[in-house]
Amino acid sequence: MTPVKPQHSLLKPAALRDCILFVLTMAALLWLVLRGAEQMGYNWHWQRIPGYLYTFENGRFAAGPLLQGLGLTLVITSMSMVCAGLIGLAAALLRLSSSPVGRGLSRIYLELIRNTPLLVQIFCMYFILAPILGIGRMTTAVLALSLFEGAYASEIFRAGIQSIHRGQWEACHSLGLNRRQGYRYVILPQAIARIMPPLTSQAISLVKDSALVSTIAVYELTMQGRAIIAETYLSFEIWTVVAAIYLVLTLSLSAVAGLLRQRFSAAA
Amino acid sequence: MTAEVKQTPPREAAVVQVRDISKTFAGGVLALDHISLEVDKGEVLVIIGPSGSGKSTLLRCLNGLEAIDSGSIVINGIPLDKNEANRLAIRREVGMVFQSFNLFPHLSVLENINLAQQLVQKKSLAEATAATQTLLAKVGIPDKAGRLPDELSGGQQQRVAIARALALKPKIMLFDEATSALDPEMIGEVLDVMRNLAAEGMTMLVVTHEMGFAREVSDRVLFMEEGRLVEEAPSDLFFSQPRETRTREFLSQIL
Repeated sequence: MTPVKPQHSLLKPAALRDCILFVLTMAALLWLVLRGAEQMGYNWHWQRIPGYLYTFENGRFAAGPLLQGLGLTLVITSMSMVCAGLIGLAAALLRLSSSPVGRGLSRIYLELIRNTPLLVQIFCMYFILAPILGIGRMTTAVLALSLFEGAYASEIFRAGIQSIHRGQWEACHSLGLNRRQGYRYVILPQAIARIMPPLTSQAISLVKDSALVSTIAVYELTMQGRAIIAETYLSFEIWTVVAAIYLVLTLSLSAVAGLLRQRFSAAA
Repeated sequence: MTAEVKQTPPREAAVVQVRDISKTFAGGVLALDHISLEVDKGEVLVIIGPSGSGKSTLLRCLNGLEAIDSGSIVINGIPLDKNEANRLAIRREVGMVFQSFNLFPHLSVLENINLAQQLVQKKSLAEATAATQTLLAKVGIPDKAGRLPDELSGGQQQRVAIARALALKPKIMLFDEATSALDPEMIGEVLDVMRNLAAEGMTMLVVTHEMGFAREVSDRVLFMEEGRLVEEAPSDLFFSQPRETRTREFLSQIL
Protein backbone atom coordinates (compact mmCIF):
# COMPACT_ATOMS: atom_id res chain seq x y z
CA MET A 1 0.00 0.00 0.00
CA THR A 2 1.30 3.35 -0.93
CA PRO A 3 0.93 5.95 1.80
CA VAL A 4 -2.23 7.98 1.38
CA LYS A 5 -1.41 11.42 0.14
CA PRO A 6 -3.75 14.36 0.53
CA GLN A 7 -5.63 14.68 -2.75
CA HIS A 8 -6.29 18.12 -4.08
CA SER A 9 -6.76 17.08 -7.67
CA LEU A 10 -10.36 15.80 -7.44
CA LEU A 11 -11.69 18.86 -9.22
CA LYS A 12 -9.56 18.30 -12.29
CA PRO A 13 -11.72 17.13 -15.20
CA ALA A 14 -9.78 13.87 -15.70
CA ALA A 15 -10.02 12.97 -12.02
CA LEU A 16 -13.70 13.88 -11.93
CA ARG A 17 -14.36 11.66 -14.94
CA ASP A 18 -12.49 8.77 -13.26
CA CYS A 19 -14.59 9.19 -10.12
CA ILE A 20 -17.82 9.14 -12.04
CA LEU A 21 -16.72 6.06 -13.99
CA PHE A 22 -15.80 4.31 -10.75
CA VAL A 23 -19.14 5.05 -9.12
CA LEU A 24 -21.03 3.96 -12.23
CA THR A 25 -19.08 0.69 -12.46
CA MET A 26 -19.70 -0.10 -8.81
CA ALA A 27 -23.40 0.74 -9.16
CA ALA A 28 -23.66 -1.51 -12.20
CA LEU A 29 -21.99 -4.39 -10.37
CA LEU A 30 -24.26 -3.97 -7.37
CA TRP A 31 -27.31 -3.86 -9.62
CA LEU A 32 -26.19 -7.09 -11.36
CA VAL A 33 -25.80 -8.90 -8.03
CA LEU A 34 -29.12 -7.67 -6.70
CA ARG A 35 -30.94 -8.51 -9.90
CA GLY A 36 -29.32 -11.94 -10.06
CA ALA A 37 -30.36 -12.65 -6.50
CA GLU A 38 -33.89 -11.48 -7.25
CA GLN A 39 -34.16 -13.72 -10.28
CA MET A 40 -32.97 -16.67 -8.20
CA GLY A 41 -35.62 -15.79 -5.71
CA TYR A 42 -32.96 -15.21 -3.08
CA ASN A 43 -34.26 -13.68 0.14
CA TRP A 44 -31.81 -11.33 1.75
CA HIS A 45 -31.55 -11.63 5.49
CA TRP A 46 -28.93 -9.04 6.37
CA GLN A 47 -30.63 -8.41 9.68
CA ARG A 48 -29.58 -11.85 10.89
CA ILE A 49 -25.86 -11.29 10.15
CA PRO A 50 -24.91 -9.19 13.22
CA GLY A 51 -26.07 -12.07 15.39
CA TYR A 52 -23.35 -14.26 13.88
CA LEU A 53 -20.76 -11.58 14.55
CA TYR A 54 -21.59 -10.73 18.17
CA THR A 55 -24.39 -10.88 20.70
CA PHE A 56 -25.25 -9.07 23.88
CA GLU A 57 -26.24 -11.51 26.58
CA ASN A 58 -27.48 -9.81 29.74
CA GLY A 59 -25.88 -6.60 28.48
CA ARG A 60 -22.50 -8.31 28.09
CA PHE A 61 -20.69 -8.48 24.77
CA ALA A 62 -20.11 -11.99 23.45
CA ALA A 63 -18.32 -12.85 20.22
CA GLY A 64 -20.44 -14.73 17.70
CA PRO A 65 -19.07 -17.61 15.60
CA LEU A 66 -17.64 -15.33 12.91
CA LEU A 67 -15.63 -13.24 15.36
CA GLN A 68 -14.52 -16.42 17.16
CA GLY A 69 -13.40 -17.71 13.78
CA LEU A 70 -11.56 -14.46 13.14
CA GLY A 71 -9.84 -14.86 16.50
CA LEU A 72 -8.66 -18.33 15.60
CA THR A 73 -7.54 -17.15 12.15
CA LEU A 74 -5.47 -14.47 13.89
CA VAL A 75 -3.94 -17.02 16.27
CA ILE A 76 -3.12 -19.46 13.47
CA THR A 77 -1.68 -16.83 11.14
CA SER A 78 0.41 -15.09 13.79
CA MET A 79 1.87 -18.37 15.04
CA SER A 80 2.53 -19.49 11.47
CA MET A 81 4.07 -16.13 10.63
CA VAL A 82 6.64 -16.45 13.41
CA CYS A 83 7.37 -20.09 12.57
CA ALA A 84 7.51 -19.42 8.83
CA GLY A 85 9.95 -16.56 9.44
CA LEU A 86 12.23 -18.76 11.53
CA ILE A 87 11.98 -21.69 9.10
CA GLY A 88 12.55 -19.37 6.15
CA LEU A 89 15.61 -17.78 7.73
CA ALA A 90 17.04 -21.17 8.71
CA ALA A 91 16.46 -22.60 5.24
CA ALA A 92 18.03 -19.54 3.60
CA LEU A 93 21.11 -19.71 5.85
CA LEU A 94 21.44 -23.46 5.17
CA ARG A 95 21.12 -22.81 1.44
CA LEU A 96 23.92 -20.23 1.64
CA SER A 97 26.10 -22.30 3.97
CA SER A 98 29.29 -24.04 2.95
CA SER A 99 27.87 -27.43 3.92
CA PRO A 100 26.74 -29.51 0.91
CA VAL A 101 24.36 -31.50 3.13
CA GLY A 102 22.76 -28.32 4.44
CA ARG A 103 22.40 -26.88 0.96
CA GLY A 104 20.92 -30.14 -0.32
CA LEU A 105 18.39 -30.42 2.51
CA SER A 106 17.31 -26.84 2.04
CA ARG A 107 16.92 -27.37 -1.68
CA ILE A 108 14.84 -30.54 -1.26
CA TYR A 109 12.55 -28.81 1.24
CA LEU A 110 12.08 -25.89 -1.10
CA GLU A 111 11.31 -27.94 -4.20
CA LEU A 112 8.99 -30.28 -2.33
CA ILE A 113 6.94 -27.46 -0.87
CA ARG A 114 6.84 -25.18 -3.88
CA ASN A 115 5.92 -27.88 -6.34
CA THR A 116 2.94 -29.41 -4.55
CA PRO A 117 -0.40 -27.75 -3.78
CA LEU A 118 -0.88 -26.41 -0.27
CA LEU A 119 -4.17 -28.25 0.00
CA VAL A 120 -2.45 -31.57 -0.68
CA GLN A 121 0.26 -30.70 1.85
CA ILE A 122 -2.40 -30.02 4.47
CA PHE A 123 -4.06 -33.36 3.73
CA CYS A 124 -0.75 -35.22 3.81
CA MET A 125 0.06 -33.75 7.17
CA TYR A 126 -3.39 -34.27 8.57
CA PHE A 127 -3.91 -37.81 7.39
CA ILE A 128 -0.33 -39.13 7.47
CA LEU A 129 1.90 -37.07 9.69
CA ALA A 130 -0.56 -36.05 12.39
CA PRO A 131 -1.58 -39.61 13.41
CA ILE A 132 2.08 -40.71 13.40
CA LEU A 133 3.24 -37.80 15.52
CA GLY A 134 0.05 -37.71 17.52
CA ILE A 135 -0.52 -33.99 17.00
CA GLY A 136 -3.85 -32.19 16.96
CA ARG A 137 -5.64 -30.31 14.18
CA MET A 138 -4.47 -26.89 15.32
CA THR A 139 -0.82 -27.93 15.47
CA THR A 140 -1.14 -29.60 12.08
CA ALA A 141 -2.65 -26.46 10.61
CA VAL A 142 0.09 -24.21 11.99
CA LEU A 143 2.79 -26.68 10.93
CA ALA A 144 1.46 -27.00 7.38
CA LEU A 145 1.10 -23.24 6.90
CA SER A 146 4.52 -22.55 8.45
CA LEU A 147 6.29 -25.06 6.24
CA PHE A 148 4.50 -23.77 3.16
CA GLU A 149 5.06 -20.05 3.72
CA GLY A 150 8.53 -20.75 5.14
CA ALA A 151 9.68 -22.08 1.77
CA TYR A 152 8.65 -18.85 0.06
CA ALA A 153 10.04 -16.74 2.88
CA SER A 154 13.38 -18.55 2.58
CA GLU A 155 13.70 -17.44 -1.03
CA ILE A 156 12.96 -13.88 0.03
CA PHE A 157 15.57 -14.07 2.79
CA ARG A 158 18.09 -15.58 0.41
CA ALA A 159 17.57 -12.85 -2.17
CA GLY A 160 17.85 -10.21 0.56
CA ILE A 161 21.05 -11.65 1.98
CA GLN A 162 22.62 -12.02 -1.45
CA SER A 163 21.70 -8.47 -2.38
CA ILE A 164 24.06 -7.15 0.30
CA HIS A 165 27.30 -6.11 -1.34
CA ARG A 166 30.12 -8.58 -0.71
CA GLY A 167 32.27 -5.73 0.52
CA GLN A 168 30.17 -5.86 3.70
CA TRP A 169 31.26 -9.45 4.29
CA GLU A 170 34.85 -8.53 3.50
CA ALA A 171 34.72 -5.74 6.07
CA CYS A 172 33.32 -8.22 8.63
CA HIS A 173 36.04 -10.74 7.89
CA SER A 174 38.81 -8.18 7.94
CA LEU A 175 37.61 -7.03 11.37
CA GLY A 176 37.79 -10.59 12.69
CA LEU A 177 34.03 -11.11 13.01
CA ASN A 178 32.97 -14.71 12.56
CA ARG A 179 30.15 -15.77 10.25
CA ARG A 180 27.47 -15.70 12.92
CA GLN A 181 28.45 -12.22 14.10
CA GLY A 182 28.60 -11.00 10.51
CA TYR A 183 25.07 -12.21 9.84
CA ARG A 184 23.65 -10.98 13.12
CA TYR A 185 25.10 -7.48 13.28
CA VAL A 186 25.85 -6.52 9.70
CA ILE A 187 24.20 -8.60 6.99
CA LEU A 188 20.76 -9.47 8.38
CA PRO A 189 19.84 -5.99 9.68
CA GLN A 190 20.46 -4.60 6.19
CA ALA A 191 18.86 -7.54 4.40
CA ILE A 192 15.70 -7.53 6.50
CA ALA A 193 15.17 -3.81 6.00
CA ARG A 194 15.43 -4.46 2.29
CA ILE A 195 12.99 -7.40 2.20
CA MET A 196 10.24 -5.88 4.33
CA PRO A 197 7.95 -5.27 1.30
CA PRO A 198 8.06 -8.83 -0.12
CA LEU A 199 7.93 -10.28 3.38
CA THR A 200 4.74 -8.32 3.96
CA SER A 201 3.14 -9.68 0.81
CA GLN A 202 4.06 -13.14 2.05
CA ALA A 203 2.34 -12.44 5.38
CA ILE A 204 -0.76 -11.33 3.50
CA SER A 205 -0.67 -14.56 1.46
CA LEU A 206 -0.46 -16.43 4.75
CA VAL A 207 -3.66 -14.78 6.01
CA LYS A 208 -5.45 -15.78 2.84
CA ASP A 209 -3.97 -19.29 2.66
CA SER A 210 -5.06 -19.92 6.24
CA ALA A 211 -8.61 -20.33 4.87
CA LEU A 212 -7.50 -23.69 3.49
CA VAL A 213 -7.12 -25.25 6.92
CA SER A 214 -10.92 -25.14 7.14
CA THR A 215 -10.69 -28.38 5.14
CA ILE A 216 -9.35 -30.22 8.19
CA ALA A 217 -12.15 -28.81 10.35
CA VAL A 218 -10.17 -26.15 12.16
CA TYR A 219 -12.85 -23.66 13.15
CA GLU A 220 -11.23 -20.51 11.82
CA LEU A 221 -13.11 -17.80 9.95
CA THR A 222 -13.82 -19.72 6.73
CA MET A 223 -14.87 -22.89 8.59
CA GLN A 224 -17.23 -20.89 10.79
CA GLY A 225 -18.71 -19.35 7.65
CA ARG A 226 -19.25 -22.78 6.10
CA ALA A 227 -20.83 -24.08 9.30
CA ILE A 228 -23.28 -21.18 9.50
CA ILE A 229 -24.24 -21.56 5.83
CA ALA A 230 -24.79 -25.29 6.31
CA GLU A 231 -27.36 -24.44 8.98
CA THR A 232 -28.96 -21.35 7.51
CA TYR A 233 -28.34 -21.24 3.73
CA LEU A 234 -27.36 -17.54 4.09
CA SER A 235 -24.56 -18.07 1.57
CA PHE A 236 -24.67 -14.64 -0.14
CA GLU A 237 -24.56 -12.67 3.10
CA ILE A 238 -22.08 -14.85 4.99
CA TRP A 239 -19.52 -15.17 2.20
CA THR A 240 -19.73 -11.42 1.59
CA VAL A 241 -19.08 -10.75 5.28
CA VAL A 242 -16.28 -13.33 5.47
CA ALA A 243 -14.58 -11.81 2.42
CA ALA A 244 -14.95 -8.34 3.93
CA ILE A 245 -13.35 -9.47 7.17
CA TYR A 246 -10.37 -10.96 5.31
CA LEU A 247 -10.09 -7.73 3.34
CA VAL A 248 -10.01 -5.61 6.50
CA LEU A 249 -7.40 -7.95 7.95
CA THR A 250 -5.06 -7.88 4.96
CA LEU A 251 -5.47 -4.15 4.40
CA SER A 252 -4.62 -3.44 8.05
CA LEU A 253 -1.60 -5.68 7.71
CA SER A 254 -0.30 -3.78 4.72
CA ALA A 255 -0.93 -0.49 6.51
CA VAL A 256 1.18 -1.71 9.43
CA ALA A 257 3.81 -2.89 6.95
CA GLY A 258 3.80 0.55 5.34
CA LEU A 259 4.57 2.15 8.71
CA LEU A 260 7.30 -0.42 9.40
CA ARG A 261 8.83 0.21 6.01
CA GLN A 262 8.96 3.94 6.64
CA ARG A 263 10.77 3.35 9.92
CA PHE A 264 13.19 0.86 8.37
CA SER A 265 13.99 3.05 5.42
CA ALA A 266 14.53 5.98 7.76
CA ALA A 267 17.00 3.86 9.70
CA ALA A 268 18.74 2.39 6.67
CA MET B 1 68.53 -40.59 11.38
CA THR B 2 70.30 -37.69 12.97
CA ALA B 3 70.84 -35.73 9.82
CA GLU B 4 70.43 -32.18 10.86
CA VAL B 5 68.13 -30.12 8.79
CA LYS B 6 69.69 -26.75 8.18
CA GLN B 7 67.11 -24.09 8.40
CA THR B 8 67.70 -20.45 7.91
CA PRO B 9 66.09 -18.87 10.93
CA PRO B 10 63.30 -16.49 9.91
CA ARG B 11 64.31 -12.88 10.17
CA GLU B 12 63.38 -11.63 13.57
CA ALA B 13 61.57 -8.55 12.39
CA ALA B 14 59.74 -9.89 9.31
CA VAL B 15 56.09 -9.61 10.31
CA VAL B 16 54.86 -10.64 6.88
CA GLN B 17 56.43 -13.71 5.29
CA VAL B 18 55.07 -14.72 1.92
CA ARG B 19 56.68 -17.78 0.29
CA ASP B 20 56.06 -18.65 -3.31
CA ILE B 21 52.29 -18.10 -3.39
CA SER B 22 50.18 -18.62 -6.48
CA LYS B 23 46.52 -18.04 -7.14
CA THR B 24 44.37 -18.77 -10.17
CA PHE B 25 40.83 -17.43 -10.32
CA ALA B 26 37.89 -19.61 -11.32
CA GLY B 27 37.93 -18.18 -14.84
CA GLY B 28 41.49 -19.44 -15.33
CA VAL B 29 43.13 -16.05 -14.82
CA LEU B 30 46.51 -16.39 -13.14
CA ALA B 31 46.30 -13.63 -10.53
CA LEU B 32 49.45 -14.40 -8.56
CA ASP B 33 52.40 -16.21 -10.07
CA HIS B 34 54.91 -17.48 -7.48
CA ILE B 35 55.17 -14.38 -5.35
CA SER B 36 57.56 -14.21 -2.40
CA LEU B 37 57.81 -11.25 -0.11
CA GLU B 38 58.92 -10.21 3.34
CA VAL B 39 57.93 -7.08 5.19
CA ASP B 40 59.76 -5.88 8.29
CA LYS B 41 58.17 -4.42 11.33
CA GLY B 42 57.55 -0.72 10.85
CA GLU B 43 58.20 -0.87 7.13
CA VAL B 44 55.99 0.88 4.61
CA LEU B 45 55.74 -1.13 1.40
CA VAL B 46 53.98 0.33 -1.62
CA ILE B 47 52.75 -2.01 -4.34
CA ILE B 48 52.14 -0.53 -7.76
CA GLY B 49 51.29 -1.89 -11.15
CA PRO B 50 48.72 -1.68 -13.94
CA SER B 51 45.16 -2.76 -13.18
CA GLY B 52 44.75 -6.52 -13.23
CA SER B 53 48.35 -7.03 -12.17
CA GLY B 54 47.34 -8.91 -9.02
CA LYS B 55 48.34 -6.29 -6.46
CA SER B 56 44.93 -6.13 -4.79
CA THR B 57 44.70 -9.92 -4.85
CA LEU B 58 48.06 -10.14 -3.11
CA LEU B 59 46.81 -7.84 -0.37
CA ARG B 60 43.55 -9.75 -0.01
CA CYS B 61 45.40 -13.03 0.33
CA LEU B 62 47.35 -11.71 3.31
CA ASN B 63 44.30 -11.66 5.60
CA GLY B 64 42.61 -14.62 4.00
CA LEU B 65 39.92 -12.79 2.02
CA GLU B 66 41.19 -14.79 -0.94
CA ALA B 67 42.51 -18.31 -0.58
CA ILE B 68 45.88 -19.13 -2.12
CA ASP B 69 46.40 -22.23 -4.27
CA SER B 70 49.98 -22.89 -3.22
CA GLY B 71 52.77 -21.40 -1.15
CA SER B 72 52.64 -20.17 2.42
CA ILE B 73 51.84 -16.99 4.32
CA VAL B 74 52.96 -16.31 7.87
CA ILE B 75 51.78 -13.15 9.61
CA ASN B 76 53.43 -12.19 12.87
CA GLY B 77 54.45 -15.81 13.40
CA ILE B 78 50.95 -17.20 12.74
CA PRO B 79 50.61 -19.39 9.65
CA LEU B 80 47.59 -18.59 7.47
CA ASP B 81 46.13 -22.02 6.75
CA LYS B 82 42.87 -23.91 6.84
CA ASN B 83 42.75 -23.48 10.62
CA GLU B 84 39.86 -21.11 11.37
CA ALA B 85 41.36 -20.00 14.70
CA ASN B 86 44.60 -18.99 12.99
CA ARG B 87 42.73 -17.09 10.34
CA LEU B 88 40.72 -15.17 12.94
CA ALA B 89 43.91 -14.49 14.91
CA ILE B 90 45.59 -13.10 11.79
CA ARG B 91 42.60 -10.92 11.03
CA ARG B 92 42.96 -9.38 14.48
CA GLU B 93 46.61 -8.58 13.70
CA VAL B 94 45.86 -7.15 10.27
CA GLY B 95 43.67 -4.14 9.57
CA MET B 96 42.36 -3.50 6.10
CA VAL B 97 41.08 -0.41 4.32
CA PHE B 98 39.12 -0.87 1.10
CA GLN B 99 38.73 1.23 -2.00
CA SER B 100 34.94 1.36 -1.49
CA PHE B 101 35.20 2.00 2.30
CA ASN B 102 32.76 -0.84 3.12
CA LEU B 103 31.40 0.96 6.14
CA PHE B 104 28.26 -0.55 7.63
CA PRO B 105 25.54 1.79 6.31
CA HIS B 106 22.94 0.92 8.97
CA LEU B 107 25.26 1.79 11.86
CA SER B 108 26.46 5.18 13.03
CA VAL B 109 30.12 6.10 12.81
CA LEU B 110 30.46 5.32 16.52
CA GLU B 111 28.78 1.93 16.12
CA ASN B 112 30.87 1.10 13.06
CA ILE B 113 34.05 1.56 15.06
CA ASN B 114 32.69 0.06 18.28
CA LEU B 115 31.35 -3.12 16.71
CA ALA B 116 34.49 -5.23 16.41
CA GLN B 117 35.88 -3.88 19.68
CA GLN B 118 32.80 -5.19 21.46
CA LEU B 119 32.45 -8.44 19.51
CA VAL B 120 36.07 -9.41 18.97
CA GLN B 121 37.91 -7.74 21.84
CA LYS B 122 34.93 -8.14 24.20
CA LYS B 123 35.22 -4.55 25.39
CA SER B 124 32.34 -2.91 27.24
CA LEU B 125 30.37 -0.24 25.42
CA ALA B 126 32.00 2.48 27.54
CA GLU B 127 35.53 1.22 26.89
CA ALA B 128 34.89 0.87 23.18
CA THR B 129 33.30 4.31 22.93
CA ALA B 130 36.22 5.93 24.70
CA ALA B 131 38.68 4.27 22.31
CA THR B 132 36.52 5.25 19.35
CA GLN B 133 36.44 8.91 20.38
CA THR B 134 40.24 8.92 20.62
CA LEU B 135 40.51 7.35 17.16
CA LEU B 136 38.04 9.79 15.61
CA ALA B 137 40.08 12.66 17.02
CA LYS B 138 43.19 11.06 15.57
CA VAL B 139 41.73 10.90 12.05
CA GLY B 140 40.44 14.44 12.40
CA ILE B 141 36.65 13.97 12.66
CA PRO B 142 35.90 13.99 16.41
CA ASP B 143 32.45 15.54 15.87
CA LYS B 144 31.01 12.88 13.51
CA ALA B 145 30.44 9.99 15.94
CA GLY B 146 26.65 10.17 15.75
CA ARG B 147 26.40 10.43 11.99
CA LEU B 148 25.53 7.70 9.54
CA PRO B 149 28.18 6.92 6.91
CA ASP B 150 25.97 8.26 4.11
CA GLU B 151 25.94 11.67 5.75
CA LEU B 152 29.72 12.02 5.43
CA SER B 153 31.92 12.95 2.49
CA GLY B 154 33.99 10.24 0.82
CA GLY B 155 37.16 11.41 2.51
CA GLN B 156 35.47 11.40 5.90
CA GLN B 157 34.05 7.93 5.27
CA GLN B 158 37.46 6.57 4.40
CA ARG B 159 38.91 8.10 7.56
CA VAL B 160 36.16 6.38 9.55
CA ALA B 161 37.14 3.13 7.82
CA ILE B 162 40.76 3.66 8.82
CA ALA B 163 39.72 4.38 12.41
CA ARG B 164 37.57 1.25 12.38
CA ALA B 165 40.53 -0.86 11.26
CA LEU B 166 42.83 0.76 13.82
CA ALA B 167 40.39 0.11 16.65
CA LEU B 168 41.58 -3.49 16.91
CA LYS B 169 45.17 -2.26 17.37
CA PRO B 170 46.49 -4.16 14.37
CA LYS B 171 50.22 -4.75 13.89
CA ILE B 172 49.89 -4.45 10.13
CA MET B 173 47.66 -2.25 7.97
CA LEU B 174 46.66 -3.07 4.41
CA PHE B 175 45.45 -0.24 2.17
CA ASP B 176 43.76 -1.44 -1.02
CA GLU B 177 43.57 1.63 -3.27
CA ALA B 178 42.25 3.60 -0.33
CA THR B 179 42.08 6.87 -2.26
CA SER B 180 40.99 5.63 -5.70
CA ALA B 181 37.27 6.17 -5.14
CA LEU B 182 37.71 9.68 -3.76
CA ASP B 183 37.21 13.06 -5.37
CA PRO B 184 40.59 14.71 -5.91
CA GLU B 185 40.10 17.32 -3.18
CA MET B 186 39.58 14.59 -0.58
CA ILE B 187 42.60 12.48 -1.38
CA GLY B 188 44.90 14.68 0.64
CA GLU B 189 43.06 14.30 3.94
CA VAL B 190 43.19 10.50 3.70
CA LEU B 191 46.84 10.46 2.68
CA ASP B 192 47.60 12.70 5.67
CA VAL B 193 46.13 10.12 8.01
CA MET B 194 48.16 7.39 6.32
CA ARG B 195 51.31 9.52 6.49
CA ASN B 196 50.85 10.03 10.24
CA LEU B 197 50.33 6.34 10.69
CA ALA B 198 53.57 5.58 8.86
CA ALA B 199 55.39 8.12 11.00
CA GLU B 200 54.15 6.34 14.13
CA GLY B 201 55.90 3.19 12.94
CA MET B 202 52.93 1.20 11.67
CA THR B 203 53.79 -1.64 9.31
CA MET B 204 51.90 -0.82 6.12
CA LEU B 205 51.29 -2.48 2.76
CA VAL B 206 49.79 0.06 0.42
CA VAL B 207 48.37 -0.55 -3.04
CA THR B 208 48.08 2.88 -4.60
CA HIS B 209 48.30 5.00 -7.70
CA GLU B 210 49.51 8.00 -5.70
CA MET B 211 53.14 8.14 -6.77
CA GLY B 212 53.86 11.24 -4.74
CA PHE B 213 52.77 9.43 -1.62
CA ALA B 214 54.74 6.33 -2.62
CA ARG B 215 57.92 8.28 -3.14
CA GLU B 216 57.57 10.30 0.02
CA VAL B 217 56.36 7.79 2.56
CA SER B 218 57.36 4.30 1.45
CA ASP B 219 60.54 2.47 2.37
CA ARG B 220 60.26 0.02 -0.47
CA VAL B 221 58.31 -0.22 -3.70
CA LEU B 222 57.15 -3.37 -5.44
CA PHE B 223 56.11 -3.36 -9.07
CA MET B 224 53.77 -6.10 -10.25
CA GLU B 225 52.47 -7.07 -13.65
CA GLU B 226 50.33 -10.03 -14.74
CA GLY B 227 50.62 -11.65 -11.34
CA ARG B 228 54.40 -11.52 -11.29
CA LEU B 229 56.74 -9.47 -9.17
CA VAL B 230 58.68 -7.50 -11.76
CA GLU B 231 60.82 -5.28 -9.59
CA GLU B 232 61.35 -4.59 -5.93
CA ALA B 233 63.60 -1.80 -4.67
CA PRO B 234 64.01 0.82 -1.94
CA SER B 235 61.78 3.66 -2.97
CA ASP B 236 64.46 6.25 -3.75
CA LEU B 237 66.23 3.76 -6.03
CA PHE B 238 62.97 2.57 -7.54
CA PHE B 239 61.97 5.99 -8.74
CA SER B 240 65.44 7.29 -9.64
CA GLN B 241 66.99 4.18 -11.23
CA PRO B 242 64.43 1.54 -12.13
CA ARG B 243 66.20 -1.60 -13.38
CA GLU B 244 63.55 -3.23 -15.54
CA THR B 245 62.43 -1.88 -18.88
CA ARG B 246 58.81 -2.63 -18.00
CA THR B 247 59.08 -0.60 -14.82
CA ARG B 248 60.50 2.33 -16.72
CA GLU B 249 57.69 2.15 -19.25
CA PHE B 250 55.07 2.06 -16.51
CA LEU B 251 56.63 4.95 -14.59
CA SER B 252 56.90 7.07 -17.73
CA GLN B 253 53.20 6.53 -18.35
CA ILE B 254 52.01 7.63 -14.94
CA LEU B 255 54.54 10.21 -13.78
